[in-house]
Amino acid sequence: MTAVEDPRPEVAGGTDGPDSSVTFALTVDGTAHEVTARWDESLLTVLRDRLGVRGPKTGCAHGRCGACAVKADLGDGGHVLCSCLVPAATAAGGTVETIASIGGPDGALSDVQEAFLAEGAVQCGICTSGFVTAATELLDTNPDPTRTEIEAALYGNLCRCTGYGRIVAAVETAARTRRGDA
Amino acid sequence: MLLEAPRFVLPETLAEALAARAERPEAVVVAGGTEVMPDLLWRNRTAAGFLSLRRVAALRGTTTDGGDLVIGAGTPVAALTTAPDGGLRAAASSLGTPLVRTEATIGGNVVSALPYRNLLPTLLAGGATLELTSAAGTRVVPFDGFVTAPGVTGLREGELLTAVRLPAHVGFADYAKVGRRNAQFVATVSAAVVSRDGVARLAFGNAGPIPLRSDAVDTAATALLDGQATADDLRSTVAAAVDPPEDAVASADYRRHALGVLAVRLVTRAAVDAGLGS
Repeated sequence: MTAVEDPRPEVAGGTDGPDSSVTFALTVDGTAHEVTARWDESLLTVLRDRLGVRGPKTGCAHGRCGACAVKADLGDGGHVLCSCLVPAATAAGGTVETIASIGGPDGALSDVQEAFLAEGAVQCGICTSGFVTAATELLDTNPDPTRTEIEAALYGNLCRCTGYGRIVAAVETAARTRRGDA
Repeated sequence: MLLEAPRFVLPETLAEALAARAERPEAVVVAGGTEVMPDLLWRNRTAAGFLSLRRVAALRGTTTDGGDLVIGAGTPVAALTTAPDGGLRAAASSLGTPLVRTEATIGGNVVSALPYRNLLPTLLAGGATLELTSAAGTRVVPFDGFVTAPGVTGLREGELLTAVRLPAHVGFADYAKVGRRNAQFVATVSAAVVSRDGVARLAFGNAGPIPLRSDAVDTAATALLDGQATADDLRSTVAAAVDPPEDAVASADYRRHALGVLAVRLVTRAAVDAGLGS
Protein backbone atom coordinates (compact mmCIF):
# COMPACT_ATOMS: atom_id res chain seq x y z
CA MET A 1 0.00 0.00 0.00
CA THR A 2 1.46 3.33 -1.02
CA ALA A 3 0.22 6.70 0.13
CA VAL A 4 -0.42 8.86 -2.90
CA GLU A 5 0.87 12.36 -3.08
CA ASP A 6 -2.13 14.55 -3.81
CA PRO A 7 -1.64 15.82 -7.37
CA ARG A 8 -4.07 18.70 -6.78
CA PRO A 9 -3.96 19.71 -3.11
CA GLU A 10 -6.43 22.56 -3.71
CA VAL A 11 -9.15 20.13 -4.80
CA ALA A 12 -12.69 21.16 -3.88
CA GLY A 13 -11.82 22.95 -0.68
CA GLY A 14 -9.25 20.41 0.47
CA THR A 15 -10.49 18.41 3.43
CA ASP A 16 -11.88 21.20 5.66
CA GLY A 17 -9.82 20.06 8.60
CA PRO A 18 -9.38 16.65 10.19
CA ASP A 19 -13.06 16.24 11.18
CA SER A 20 -14.16 16.42 7.56
CA SER A 21 -11.75 13.89 6.18
CA VAL A 22 -12.00 10.16 5.70
CA THR A 23 -9.11 7.83 5.02
CA PHE A 24 -9.59 4.49 3.33
CA ALA A 25 -7.93 1.91 1.12
CA LEU A 26 -8.85 1.75 -2.55
CA THR A 27 -7.37 -0.32 -5.35
CA VAL A 28 -7.54 1.36 -8.74
CA ASP A 29 -6.46 -0.47 -11.89
CA GLY A 30 -4.45 -2.90 -9.78
CA THR A 31 -2.63 -0.25 -7.74
CA ALA A 32 -3.36 -0.05 -4.01
CA HIS A 33 -3.86 3.45 -2.61
CA GLU A 34 -4.56 4.98 0.75
CA VAL A 35 -6.94 7.83 0.03
CA THR A 36 -7.70 10.82 2.23
CA ALA A 37 -10.69 12.77 0.98
CA ARG A 38 -13.59 14.90 2.16
CA TRP A 39 -16.38 12.74 3.60
CA ASP A 40 -18.86 13.79 0.88
CA GLU A 41 -16.55 13.54 -2.10
CA SER A 42 -17.60 11.41 -5.07
CA LEU A 43 -15.60 8.46 -6.31
CA LEU A 44 -15.10 10.37 -9.57
CA THR A 45 -13.51 13.32 -7.75
CA VAL A 46 -11.21 11.00 -5.83
CA LEU A 47 -10.17 9.18 -8.99
CA ARG A 48 -9.52 12.25 -11.10
CA ASP A 49 -8.47 14.96 -8.67
CA ARG A 50 -6.83 13.04 -5.85
CA LEU A 51 -5.35 10.02 -7.62
CA GLY A 52 -4.78 11.60 -11.03
CA VAL A 53 -6.69 8.81 -12.79
CA ARG A 54 -8.16 10.67 -15.76
CA GLY A 55 -9.82 7.90 -17.80
CA PRO A 56 -13.28 8.49 -16.28
CA LYS A 57 -14.54 11.88 -17.44
CA THR A 58 -16.62 14.50 -15.70
CA GLY A 59 -19.65 15.08 -17.90
CA CYS A 60 -22.91 15.91 -16.15
CA ALA A 61 -21.79 14.89 -12.62
CA HIS A 62 -25.28 13.63 -11.77
CA GLY A 63 -25.67 10.24 -13.38
CA ARG A 64 -27.19 11.16 -16.72
CA CYS A 65 -24.33 10.91 -19.21
CA GLY A 66 -22.19 7.91 -18.22
CA ALA A 67 -18.87 9.60 -19.07
CA CYS A 68 -17.63 8.69 -15.58
CA ALA A 69 -18.56 4.98 -15.85
CA VAL A 70 -16.16 2.57 -14.16
CA LYS A 71 -16.38 -1.00 -13.00
CA ALA A 72 -16.31 -1.06 -9.22
CA ASP A 73 -16.47 -3.88 -6.69
CA LEU A 74 -17.97 -2.56 -3.46
CA GLY A 75 -17.99 -5.97 -1.84
CA ASP A 76 -20.71 -7.33 -4.13
CA GLY A 77 -18.79 -8.77 -7.06
CA GLY A 78 -18.53 -5.63 -9.12
CA HIS A 79 -20.48 -3.93 -11.87
CA VAL A 80 -20.39 -0.80 -13.99
CA LEU A 81 -21.70 2.33 -12.30
CA CYS A 82 -21.54 6.11 -12.47
CA SER A 83 -18.58 7.08 -10.28
CA CYS A 84 -20.00 10.60 -9.89
CA LEU A 85 -22.91 9.20 -7.85
CA VAL A 86 -20.93 7.05 -5.42
CA PRO A 87 -19.73 8.64 -2.18
CA ALA A 88 -16.06 7.67 -2.46
CA ALA A 89 -15.70 6.31 1.06
CA THR A 90 -18.42 3.71 0.45
CA ALA A 91 -15.81 2.01 -1.72
CA ALA A 92 -13.48 1.56 1.28
CA GLY A 93 -11.39 -1.55 0.73
CA GLY A 94 -12.92 -2.01 -2.70
CA THR A 95 -11.54 -2.11 -6.20
CA VAL A 96 -12.11 0.07 -9.24
CA GLU A 97 -11.28 -0.77 -12.82
CA THR A 98 -11.28 2.17 -15.20
CA ILE A 99 -10.82 2.25 -18.95
CA ALA A 100 -7.09 1.74 -18.23
CA SER A 101 -7.90 -1.82 -17.12
CA ILE A 102 -9.76 -2.59 -20.33
CA GLY A 103 -6.81 -2.06 -22.66
CA GLY A 104 -3.48 -3.82 -22.26
CA PRO A 105 -0.82 -2.49 -19.85
CA ASP A 106 1.40 -1.46 -22.77
CA GLY A 107 -1.29 0.64 -24.40
CA ALA A 108 -2.67 -2.23 -26.47
CA LEU A 109 -6.32 -1.76 -27.31
CA SER A 110 -9.07 -4.21 -26.41
CA ASP A 111 -11.35 -5.72 -29.06
CA VAL A 112 -14.05 -3.18 -28.16
CA GLN A 113 -11.62 -0.28 -28.46
CA GLU A 114 -10.37 -1.58 -31.81
CA ALA A 115 -13.95 -1.82 -33.04
CA PHE A 116 -14.66 1.78 -31.95
CA LEU A 117 -11.68 2.91 -34.03
CA ALA A 118 -12.54 0.74 -37.01
CA GLU A 119 -16.16 1.92 -37.11
CA GLY A 120 -15.39 5.61 -36.57
CA ALA A 121 -17.30 5.61 -33.29
CA VAL A 122 -15.12 8.26 -31.67
CA GLN A 123 -15.51 11.96 -32.32
CA CYS A 124 -14.60 14.39 -29.54
CA GLY A 125 -13.89 11.46 -27.23
CA ILE A 126 -15.23 12.64 -23.88
CA CYS A 127 -17.94 9.95 -23.84
CA THR A 128 -15.74 7.20 -25.24
CA SER A 129 -14.29 5.68 -22.09
CA GLY A 130 -17.78 5.43 -20.63
CA PHE A 131 -19.20 3.86 -23.77
CA VAL A 132 -16.35 1.36 -24.04
CA THR A 133 -16.75 0.49 -20.34
CA ALA A 134 -20.51 -0.10 -20.70
CA ALA A 135 -20.11 -1.98 -23.98
CA THR A 136 -17.39 -4.22 -22.53
CA GLU A 137 -19.65 -5.08 -19.58
CA LEU A 138 -22.46 -5.92 -22.01
CA LEU A 139 -20.30 -8.25 -24.14
CA ASP A 140 -18.84 -9.91 -21.03
CA THR A 141 -22.36 -10.87 -19.92
CA ASN A 142 -24.11 -11.23 -23.30
CA PRO A 143 -21.79 -12.22 -26.15
CA ASP A 144 -24.50 -12.11 -28.81
CA PRO A 145 -26.62 -9.03 -28.08
CA THR A 146 -29.38 -7.84 -30.38
CA ARG A 147 -29.38 -4.24 -31.55
CA THR A 148 -32.17 -3.53 -29.05
CA GLU A 149 -30.10 -5.04 -26.23
CA ILE A 150 -27.09 -2.93 -27.23
CA GLU A 151 -29.19 0.23 -27.26
CA ALA A 152 -30.68 -0.67 -23.87
CA ALA A 153 -27.25 -1.34 -22.36
CA LEU A 154 -25.91 1.99 -23.64
CA TYR A 155 -29.01 3.97 -22.61
CA GLY A 156 -27.10 5.60 -19.75
CA ASN A 157 -24.29 6.87 -21.97
CA LEU A 158 -24.75 10.08 -23.92
CA CYS A 159 -22.81 11.20 -26.99
CA ARG A 160 -23.33 14.85 -27.89
CA CYS A 161 -21.50 14.51 -31.20
CA THR A 162 -24.58 12.47 -32.31
CA GLY A 163 -22.53 9.37 -32.95
CA TYR A 164 -24.87 6.61 -31.75
CA GLY A 165 -25.13 4.83 -35.10
CA ARG A 166 -21.37 4.29 -35.32
CA ILE A 167 -21.16 3.36 -31.64
CA VAL A 168 -23.84 0.66 -31.93
CA ALA A 169 -22.14 -0.59 -35.10
CA ALA A 170 -18.85 -0.78 -33.19
CA VAL A 171 -20.40 -2.91 -30.46
CA GLU A 172 -21.92 -5.21 -33.09
CA THR A 173 -18.49 -5.51 -34.75
CA ALA A 174 -16.78 -6.24 -31.44
CA ALA A 175 -19.39 -8.89 -30.66
CA ARG A 176 -18.83 -10.57 -34.04
CA THR A 177 -15.05 -10.45 -33.59
CA ARG A 178 -15.30 -11.88 -30.11
CA ARG A 179 -17.53 -14.71 -31.30
CA GLY A 180 -15.07 -15.41 -34.09
CA ASP A 181 -17.56 -14.96 -36.91
CA ALA A 182 -16.10 -11.74 -38.24
CA MET B 1 -17.61 -1.18 10.82
CA LEU B 2 -15.72 -0.92 7.57
CA LEU B 3 -15.05 2.75 8.22
CA GLU B 4 -15.79 5.13 11.06
CA ALA B 5 -14.90 8.80 10.74
CA PRO B 6 -16.37 11.89 12.43
CA ARG B 7 -18.67 12.55 9.48
CA PHE B 8 -18.86 9.20 7.71
CA VAL B 9 -19.77 5.77 8.94
CA LEU B 10 -19.82 2.59 6.86
CA PRO B 11 -21.45 -0.28 8.76
CA GLU B 12 -21.30 -3.85 7.53
CA THR B 13 -24.12 -5.37 9.59
CA LEU B 14 -27.66 -4.28 10.41
CA ALA B 15 -26.78 -4.10 14.13
CA GLU B 16 -23.91 -1.73 13.34
CA ALA B 17 -26.19 0.34 11.11
CA LEU B 18 -28.88 0.64 13.80
CA ALA B 19 -26.31 1.60 16.43
CA ALA B 20 -24.92 4.25 14.07
CA ARG B 21 -28.45 5.51 13.35
CA ALA B 22 -29.08 6.00 17.06
CA GLU B 23 -25.69 7.61 17.66
CA ARG B 24 -25.78 9.93 14.65
CA PRO B 25 -29.33 11.23 14.21
CA GLU B 26 -27.98 14.20 12.25
CA ALA B 27 -26.34 12.07 9.55
CA VAL B 28 -28.02 11.63 6.18
CA VAL B 29 -28.74 7.97 5.52
CA VAL B 30 -27.45 7.16 2.06
CA ALA B 31 -27.65 3.87 0.16
CA GLY B 32 -26.80 4.11 -3.53
CA GLY B 33 -26.18 7.85 -3.39
CA THR B 34 -27.94 8.44 -6.70
CA GLU B 35 -30.21 11.10 -5.23
CA VAL B 36 -28.16 12.43 -2.35
CA MET B 37 -24.97 13.14 -4.28
CA PRO B 38 -26.62 15.38 -6.94
CA ASP B 39 -28.62 17.08 -4.17
CA LEU B 40 -25.40 18.00 -2.36
CA LEU B 41 -23.73 19.05 -5.61
CA TRP B 42 -26.59 21.39 -6.44
CA ARG B 43 -26.98 22.49 -2.81
CA ASN B 44 -30.57 21.24 -2.73
CA ARG B 45 -29.75 19.98 0.73
CA THR B 46 -27.00 20.12 3.28
CA ALA B 47 -25.72 17.20 5.28
CA ALA B 48 -23.81 16.96 8.53
CA GLY B 49 -22.45 13.56 7.54
CA PHE B 50 -23.28 10.26 5.91
CA LEU B 51 -24.49 6.98 7.33
CA SER B 52 -23.98 4.71 4.32
CA LEU B 53 -25.96 1.47 4.11
CA ARG B 54 -24.23 0.46 0.89
CA ARG B 55 -22.12 -2.28 2.44
CA VAL B 56 -24.79 -3.87 4.67
CA ALA B 57 -25.18 -7.12 2.74
CA ALA B 58 -28.17 -8.23 4.85
CA LEU B 59 -30.26 -5.41 3.36
CA ARG B 60 -29.69 -6.56 -0.22
CA GLY B 61 -31.65 -9.25 -2.01
CA THR B 62 -35.15 -10.61 -2.42
CA THR B 63 -36.86 -13.56 -0.74
CA THR B 64 -40.42 -14.83 -0.42
CA ASP B 65 -42.26 -15.26 2.85
CA GLY B 66 -45.82 -16.50 3.22
CA GLY B 67 -46.96 -15.18 -0.15
CA ASP B 68 -45.08 -11.90 0.15
CA LEU B 69 -42.17 -10.84 -2.01
CA VAL B 70 -39.74 -9.48 0.60
CA ILE B 71 -37.33 -6.98 -0.92
CA GLY B 72 -34.40 -5.84 1.21
CA ALA B 73 -34.31 -2.05 1.35
CA GLY B 74 -30.78 -2.01 -0.07
CA THR B 75 -31.72 -4.08 -3.11
CA PRO B 76 -30.67 -2.23 -6.24
CA VAL B 77 -33.42 -1.21 -8.65
CA ALA B 78 -31.58 -3.16 -11.37
CA ALA B 79 -32.52 -6.38 -9.57
CA LEU B 80 -36.21 -5.39 -9.71
CA THR B 81 -36.25 -5.06 -13.51
CA THR B 82 -36.77 -8.84 -13.63
CA ALA B 83 -39.16 -9.04 -10.65
CA PRO B 84 -42.16 -11.38 -10.96
CA ASP B 85 -44.53 -8.44 -10.36
CA GLY B 86 -45.25 -6.73 -13.69
CA GLY B 87 -45.85 -3.33 -12.10
CA LEU B 88 -42.62 -3.39 -10.14
CA ARG B 89 -40.77 -4.58 -13.24
CA ALA B 90 -42.12 -1.74 -15.39
CA ALA B 91 -41.52 0.92 -12.74
CA ALA B 92 -37.96 -0.29 -12.09
CA SER B 93 -37.11 -0.61 -15.80
CA SER B 94 -38.06 3.02 -16.47
CA LEU B 95 -36.07 4.47 -13.55
CA GLY B 96 -32.96 6.43 -14.57
CA THR B 97 -30.46 4.51 -16.67
CA PRO B 98 -28.83 1.06 -16.38
CA LEU B 99 -25.80 2.70 -14.75
CA VAL B 100 -28.02 4.43 -12.18
CA ARG B 101 -30.18 1.36 -11.51
CA THR B 102 -27.20 -0.70 -10.36
CA GLU B 103 -26.77 1.66 -7.39
CA ALA B 104 -30.21 3.21 -6.79
CA THR B 105 -32.12 1.19 -4.18
CA ILE B 106 -35.79 0.52 -3.47
CA GLY B 107 -35.26 1.84 0.06
CA GLY B 108 -33.91 5.14 -1.21
CA ASN B 109 -36.82 5.47 -3.63
CA VAL B 110 -39.34 4.90 -0.83
CA VAL B 111 -37.77 6.96 1.95
CA SER B 112 -36.97 9.92 -0.32
CA ALA B 113 -40.79 9.97 -0.69
CA LEU B 114 -41.13 12.51 -3.48
CA PRO B 115 -44.45 12.30 -5.36
CA TYR B 116 -42.86 11.48 -8.73
CA ARG B 117 -40.72 8.55 -7.52
CA ASN B 118 -41.17 5.59 -9.87
CA LEU B 119 -41.76 2.75 -7.45
CA LEU B 120 -44.33 4.40 -5.18
CA PRO B 121 -47.56 3.99 -7.22
CA THR B 122 -46.73 0.32 -7.75
CA LEU B 123 -46.25 -0.26 -4.03
CA LEU B 124 -49.50 1.56 -3.23
CA ALA B 125 -51.55 -0.28 -5.85
CA GLY B 126 -50.02 -3.58 -4.79
CA GLY B 127 -50.80 -3.14 -1.10
CA ALA B 128 -47.16 -3.17 0.01
CA THR B 129 -46.09 -3.09 3.64
CA LEU B 130 -42.81 -1.84 5.09
CA GLU B 131 -40.50 -3.31 7.71
CA LEU B 132 -39.19 -0.50 9.91
CA THR B 133 -36.44 -1.58 12.27
CA SER B 134 -34.83 0.07 15.28
CA ALA B 135 -32.78 -1.25 18.17
CA ALA B 136 -36.14 -1.97 19.87
CA GLY B 137 -37.28 -4.32 17.09
CA THR B 138 -39.20 -4.33 13.82
CA ARG B 139 -42.67 -2.99 13.14
CA VAL B 140 -44.56 -3.60 9.92
CA VAL B 141 -46.70 -0.75 8.59
CA PRO B 142 -48.75 -0.34 5.42
CA PHE B 143 -47.08 1.71 2.70
CA ASP B 144 -50.45 3.46 2.35
CA GLY B 145 -50.11 6.35 4.79
CA PHE B 146 -46.31 6.05 5.27
CA VAL B 147 -45.63 9.14 3.16
CA THR B 148 -47.22 12.14 4.91
CA ALA B 149 -45.91 14.99 2.75
CA PRO B 150 -43.39 15.33 -0.10
CA GLY B 151 -40.14 13.96 1.30
CA VAL B 152 -41.67 13.27 4.72
CA THR B 153 -42.43 9.78 6.07
CA GLY B 154 -43.53 8.07 9.26
CA LEU B 155 -40.00 6.81 9.90
CA ARG B 156 -39.23 7.41 13.58
CA GLU B 157 -35.98 8.47 15.19
CA GLY B 158 -33.54 5.58 15.28
CA GLU B 159 -35.46 3.61 12.65
CA LEU B 160 -34.34 2.34 9.29
CA LEU B 161 -36.48 0.97 6.47
CA THR B 162 -35.16 -2.58 6.23
CA ALA B 163 -37.53 -4.29 3.77
CA VAL B 164 -40.47 -3.75 1.47
CA ARG B 165 -43.07 -6.54 1.36
CA LEU B 166 -45.22 -6.83 -1.73
CA PRO B 167 -48.04 -9.41 -1.72
CA ALA B 168 -47.44 -11.84 -4.56
CA HIS B 169 -50.63 -12.02 -6.56
CA VAL B 170 -51.99 -13.98 -9.44
CA GLY B 171 -53.29 -11.34 -11.75
CA PHE B 172 -52.14 -8.39 -13.76
CA ALA B 173 -49.95 -5.51 -12.62
CA ASP B 174 -48.46 -2.70 -14.66
CA TYR B 175 -47.07 0.82 -14.41
CA ALA B 176 -46.93 3.74 -16.84
CA LYS B 177 -45.66 7.28 -16.69
CA VAL B 178 -45.47 10.31 -18.92
CA GLY B 179 -42.79 12.96 -18.97
CA ARG B 180 -41.55 15.81 -21.05
CA ARG B 181 -39.41 13.61 -23.28
CA ASN B 182 -38.96 9.94 -24.05
CA ALA B 183 -35.52 9.35 -22.52
CA GLN B 184 -34.28 9.56 -18.92
CA PHE B 185 -37.29 11.47 -17.68
CA VAL B 186 -38.81 12.13 -14.31
CA ALA B 187 -42.53 11.38 -14.24
CA THR B 188 -44.78 14.35 -14.85
CA VAL B 189 -47.47 11.94 -13.68
CA SER B 190 -47.51 8.18 -13.23
CA ALA B 191 -49.96 5.40 -12.48
CA ALA B 192 -49.97 1.75 -11.48
CA VAL B 193 -52.65 -0.90 -11.69
CA VAL B 194 -53.22 -4.24 -10.03
CA SER B 195 -56.12 -6.34 -11.25
CA ARG B 196 -57.17 -9.69 -9.89
CA ASP B 197 -60.44 -11.60 -9.65
CA GLY B 198 -62.15 -8.94 -11.75
CA VAL B 199 -61.26 -6.11 -9.36
CA ALA B 200 -58.95 -3.27 -10.42
CA ARG B 201 -56.96 -1.10 -8.05
CA LEU B 202 -55.14 2.02 -9.24
CA ALA B 203 -52.58 4.31 -7.65
CA PHE B 204 -51.05 7.53 -8.91
CA GLY B 205 -47.80 9.46 -8.69
CA ASN B 206 -47.62 13.27 -8.78
CA ALA B 207 -51.40 13.34 -8.50
CA GLY B 208 -51.10 15.07 -5.13
CA PRO B 209 -48.49 15.72 -2.45
CA ILE B 210 -48.35 12.01 -1.55
CA PRO B 211 -48.95 8.76 -3.48
CA LEU B 212 -52.68 8.72 -4.11
CA ARG B 213 -55.43 6.13 -4.49
CA SER B 214 -59.17 6.31 -3.94
CA ASP B 215 -62.06 3.88 -3.52
CA ALA B 216 -64.14 5.86 -6.03
CA VAL B 217 -61.44 5.48 -8.68
CA ASP B 218 -61.12 1.74 -8.01
CA THR B 219 -64.90 1.33 -8.28
CA ALA B 220 -64.90 3.13 -11.64
CA ALA B 221 -61.84 1.18 -12.82
CA THR B 222 -63.45 -2.12 -11.86
CA ALA B 223 -66.64 -1.10 -13.68
CA LEU B 224 -64.63 -0.29 -16.81
CA LEU B 225 -62.80 -3.61 -16.52
CA ASP B 226 -66.20 -5.31 -16.33
CA GLY B 227 -67.67 -3.37 -19.25
CA GLN B 228 -70.17 -1.67 -16.91
CA ALA B 229 -68.72 1.83 -17.37
CA THR B 230 -67.01 3.83 -20.10
CA ALA B 231 -63.51 5.26 -20.34
CA ASP B 232 -65.07 8.71 -19.92
CA ASP B 233 -66.58 7.61 -16.61
CA LEU B 234 -63.16 6.56 -15.30
CA ARG B 235 -61.48 9.73 -16.61
CA SER B 236 -63.99 11.98 -14.87
CA THR B 237 -63.74 9.99 -11.62
CA VAL B 238 -59.95 10.29 -11.71
CA ALA B 239 -60.18 14.02 -12.44
CA ALA B 240 -62.37 14.50 -9.38
CA ALA B 241 -60.18 12.38 -7.10
CA VAL B 242 -56.74 13.85 -7.80
CA ASP B 243 -55.18 17.10 -6.63
CA PRO B 244 -52.07 17.42 -8.79
CA PRO B 245 -49.37 20.05 -8.31
CA GLU B 246 -48.87 23.01 -10.63
CA ASP B 247 -45.21 23.72 -11.41
CA ALA B 248 -42.76 24.62 -14.15
CA VAL B 249 -43.02 21.11 -15.63
CA ALA B 250 -46.79 21.00 -16.12
CA SER B 251 -50.04 22.63 -15.14
CA ALA B 252 -52.44 20.98 -12.72
CA ASP B 253 -54.96 20.75 -15.57
CA TYR B 254 -52.52 18.89 -17.79
CA ARG B 255 -51.69 16.48 -14.99
CA ARG B 256 -55.37 15.89 -14.22
CA HIS B 257 -55.98 15.07 -17.88
CA ALA B 258 -52.89 12.85 -18.22
CA LEU B 259 -53.75 10.90 -15.07
CA GLY B 260 -57.11 10.00 -16.61
CA VAL B 261 -55.39 8.91 -19.81
CA LEU B 262 -52.96 6.68 -17.89
CA ALA B 263 -55.78 5.21 -15.79
CA VAL B 264 -57.75 4.20 -18.87
CA ARG B 265 -54.62 2.91 -20.59
CA LEU B 266 -53.70 0.65 -17.67
CA VAL B 267 -57.23 -0.66 -17.10
CA THR B 268 -57.48 -1.40 -20.84
CA ARG B 269 -54.25 -3.39 -20.63
CA ALA B 270 -55.63 -5.26 -17.63
CA ALA B 271 -58.82 -6.02 -19.55
CA VAL B 272 -56.84 -7.34 -22.52
CA ASP B 273 -54.73 -9.46 -20.17
CA ALA B 274 -57.89 -10.91 -18.65
CA GLY B 275 -59.33 -11.60 -22.10
CA LEU B 276 -62.09 -9.08 -21.48
CA GLY B 277 -61.17 -6.44 -24.01
CA SER B 278 -59.18 -5.82 -27.12
